[in-house]
Amino acid sequence: MTLEPRRGVSLYQRYRRGLFITAFLAAPVTLYLIYVISPNLQAFYIAMTDWRGVTATPAFIGLDNFQRLLGDSVFWKAVTHNVALLVLLPVVTIVIALFFAFLLNLGGRQGVSGIRGSTFYRVVFFFPQVLAVTIVAVLFQQVFRPDGSGMLNGPLMALGLEPVGFLSDPDVAFWSVLGVLVWQAVGFYVVLFSAGLAGIPRDMFEAAQIDGANRITLFFRVTLPLLWDTVQVAWVYLGILAMDVFAIVWVMTDQQGGPDWSTTVMAAEIYRNAFEYFRFGYASALGVVMFLFTVGFAILSLRLSRRERIEY
Amino acid sequence: MPHTPHISRRDLLRAAALVPAAGALAACATPASQPPATSSAAPAATSAANPFGVADGKPLEVWIFDGGFGQQYATDIHQPLFKSKYPNVEVKHNSTKEITKVLQPRFAGGNPPEVIDNSGANAMDFGALAQDGQLQDLTALLDAPSWDDPNVKVRDTIDQSVIDIGTYDGKFSVLGYVNYIHGIWYSQKVFTDNGWEVPKTWDAFLALCETIKKSGKMAPFTYAGKHPQYLYEPLLTMAAKIGGNEVLVAVDNLEDGAWTAEPMKAAAERWAEVGAKYLMQGTAGLDHVQTQTAQNKYQVAMLPCGSWLENEQKTTTPDDFAYAMFPIPDVTGSDAMPYGTLHTQPGENFIVSAKSAHPQAGMEYLRGMLSKKAAGDFSELVTTVTVVKGASEGREISPGVTSASQAVAAAGDNTVYYRAFAWYGPLNDEAKAATGELMSGGLTPQAYLERMQKKADEIKNDSSIKKYTR
Amino acid sequence: MATTPVTATGMPSRRAARVERRRRLGPLGVLTHLALVIWTLLVMIPIVWTFLASVKSEDEIFGDAWSLPAALRWDNFARAWEQAHIGQYMINSVIVVSFSTFGTMLVGSMAAYVLARYPFRGNRAIYLLFVSGLAFPFFLALTPLFFVVQNMGNVPVVGQFIGLNTYAGTVLVYIAYSMPFTVFFLAAFFRTLPTAVGEAAMVDGASHTRVFFQIMLPMAKPGIISITIFNILGQWNQYQIPLILLQERDKWVLTQGIADISTAAGYDADWAALFAALTLAILPMIVVYTVFQRQIQSGLTAGALK
Repeated sequence: MTLEPRRGVSLYQRYRRGLFITAFLAAPVTLYLIYVISPNLQAFYIAMTDWRGVTATPAFIGLDNFQRLLGDSVFWKAVTHNVALLVLLPVVTIVIALFFAFLLNLGGRQGVSGIRGSTFYRVVFFFPQVLAVTIVAVLFQQVFRPDGSGMLNGPLMALGLEPVGFLSDPDVAFWSVLGVLVWQAVGFYVVLFSAGLAGIPRDMFEAAQIDGANRITLFFRVTLPLLWDTVQVAWVYLGILAMDVFAIVWVMTDQQGGPDWSTTVMAAEIYRNAFEYFRFGYASALGVVMFLFTVGFAILSLRLSRRERIEY
Repeated sequence: MPHTPHISRRDLLRAAALVPAAGALAACATPASQPPATSSAAPAATSAANPFGVADGKPLEVWIFDGGFGQQYATDIHQPLFKSKYPNVEVKHNSTKEITKVLQPRFAGGNPPEVIDNSGANAMDFGALAQDGQLQDLTALLDAPSWDDPNVKVRDTIDQSVIDIGTYDGKFSVLGYVNYIHGIWYSQKVFTDNGWEVPKTWDAFLALCETIKKSGKMAPFTYAGKHPQYLYEPLLTMAAKIGGNEVLVAVDNLEDGAWTAEPMKAAAERWAEVGAKYLMQGTAGLDHVQTQTAQNKYQVAMLPCGSWLENEQKTTTPDDFAYAMFPIPDVTGSDAMPYGTLHTQPGENFIVSAKSAHPQAGMEYLRGMLSKKAAGDFSELVTTVTVVKGASEGREISPGVTSASQAVAAAGDNTVYYRAFAWYGPLNDEAKAATGELMSGGLTPQAYLERMQKKADEIKNDSSIKKYTR
Repeated sequence: MATTPVTATGMPSRRAARVERRRRLGPLGVLTHLALVIWTLLVMIPIVWTFLASVKSEDEIFGDAWSLPAALRWDNFARAWEQAHIGQYMINSVIVVSFSTFGTMLVGSMAAYVLARYPFRGNRAIYLLFVSGLAFPFFLALTPLFFVVQNMGNVPVVGQFIGLNTYAGTVLVYIAYSMPFTVFFLAAFFRTLPTAVGEAAMVDGASHTRVFFQIMLPMAKPGIISITIFNILGQWNQYQIPLILLQERDKWVLTQGIADISTAAGYDADWAALFAALTLAILPMIVVYTVFQRQIQSGLTAGALK
């Protein structure tokens, strides 16, 4: 299937092939090594220094930073938030998206065809996905305003209810962050699951229905099992999203991760320590911990997804 | 879509193991190979007129915090003054609302600009800058002849507190340009119209809050809930008033039990009560401009702020609003400091970067700023008081500035300040987080102080953070 | 694609069964639509509300959240465009993203092609090296990356073009960080393409390079389009990279600008301009997306469903 050098080709042709391979790989590999691989490797070293960003020769302090971060209550708060997001964001998003994908594709007449206007819904649901995260963050800052000018609190207060401190109440702020993340993510997964559903032969549904399945059994006994692979992909994607949350928290929340650290996440603490406290060594140590969490998550999802596909 | 082969997740992990192999190839880009920061070039020849040796033709980059005072004062007053003397030095003017975000990487990168007005909610951590040797020693500036009179040193034209507060590691490195005067601000019109009086005691203050609340006309009190540093200010000032200046010295020096001391407790309890009873609805989620605008719209009577307030609000303030401020009232009847005690602190902190290309020009720029003309024009333009002695004389002043100036005169030597939050960024962030919680009832005064004490102890025991004392 | 109606085979018994099924599954129709309409509103209301606020006056914005503007204040947009530099930021974004997407697709497809079709010693290792990037949290690399780019600025001759605060430097970083997904996806794509045409051209004396550009690349068009869209979206929305690499205001991209205006509104109290700026940032994306929605959706999901 590939352009292998055939037996008997001339040395010149071999040379040309080698040259071609080298030429085509030179730029991408160089760029990648310089900008991606080397910073990541350096981070592991910097994590063991007391570097504050300017000294030419940072002092090597071994695992001091890691010892220090064990007692860093703010960072561990951030970790719990990431873990909570890791569980909640995929679950909530997938449930909502599956529900809508099911309705859009099989919610129509006879329970096997698409609903009227499904294209419209899919387009609209996808809107948040094309907006930059920072824009979404700023937009929701206004939506969540605590006074009568807020999109949500305005009507609440008009009804004589107490305004909700969506971003200012530490008990609520985290849920607001989760809500915005879900708001933005759902559309993509509706489209993803719709594509998955489109790959399932109609006959399957017809057959199940002739056997007397109603919509609910249809969903749990037929749709979900057939979509299971796609759901797993979604879970991995959303898990990565949950680990990497930054801009929403940094731009939208009060005191960048507040109030009272109630919304902070690992990425925000890394950024804060590096670029606000000048503690680059320490920030890198936090980065290493974050890396370990990500790898841990990868291993976990590997284990949980029992059905490995065939490797090429 | 066609069925494309895919990579298994196992492959991903296997790949991670290969990564170190690439390391050798990438060594060329490590930060350790960073060149030594471009040390400031040798100064040009100095003279009485050019005491630091500004190099002709070498540019000067200035970054202004575009906050309460805007940036017009820099482009219209300070920079023309500097240019008048050094027409061949190009002044590159910049401004931002987020000093840290924009400039911290420049410091880290070794190419910081010369002059920075390091102010605002997102200012850089002075402690870290000092520890890294980023701050130009401005002692030479103090000892240079003043811009106006070659026989008077700069040192003698400014308040001594500027020098005290701007000193890090025995070196004067931060020039606070404006005299920030903190207090509780209100509208004289509102108070007169309603027959409300400035409270002299805490009980009177609470009674006033009650009266305002009952009047139904407006909420009694608010603060910039999004930035709780606006509230830890009156809290700490009150603690100093109750227990004396040493309360704040202990906080600054990270002394054991500094936060849990009795005066701190008394102050925290007082403010927690205000938080529970008299705050404007939604305060916790509003920022300084939103709350200040609410005051301009007569939705709230009082808020704690500094003397930059009047200028910051000039576009939204009604003409007859008549800003005024009052100091922290007497709390216990046996307060260590008398009525009128004020928190004044040089603010609008200008620094010259030691590792910039042209620090000499930076110092010269500051020398120009400290001239009587520059300082006077400045205070008139932005309605405030500078640290330059007598610069506001004969200038037109606004009601707010009048009120603040009177408060300063009445306070005399009874002024206090604190510095721990400028020295220790993490302490500041914790204080913001905890104070917000105190005011919204999420923390009891006791828990609040214990939490702050814990953070202070943490910082004290962290050998990687450089310590300062006063 | 998913709405293909079931072709009725016309068997009467089946028809009857259908009527029976419809009876059983019938009343959900209204509820179904209700759920969909609610989510539609959840998505649209904040966006529409922003559009509405963008033509309000300052007072109206601070007033009742749901009031309609008394007059349409188009000058908000003028302020957002000029004073808040939204125009400049948008141009910067377009410059950076067009070069970086083009670069990503060029070098990414070259690498993917070679890795997919040319077995050689080390092929697998290089492939896995690229793909491993999918597992790194970006924040681990954040700090060192800053210094790498800064050091690049000291490289003789070209340094001044690829250091901090340069478009080219940022573009190179965007390209590098887009490599894992691009190579991963395109390599998979190239493997599925038939080899016969390329081999025939080689026999006719075409060079490897020519085969790639004139035969393979056009054949891979669907995959290229998908991944191009993916990269445009990802790079247009990038915030962290420009946040540390582009610090001079005149170089800022749109995401930085919007975040800054949001902070700035806290000082200038020009909320109207903030909403206008948001609208300016949102509207083009919505329009472009709606026009190309079919390609974008199939492109993105194809990428995700590997």
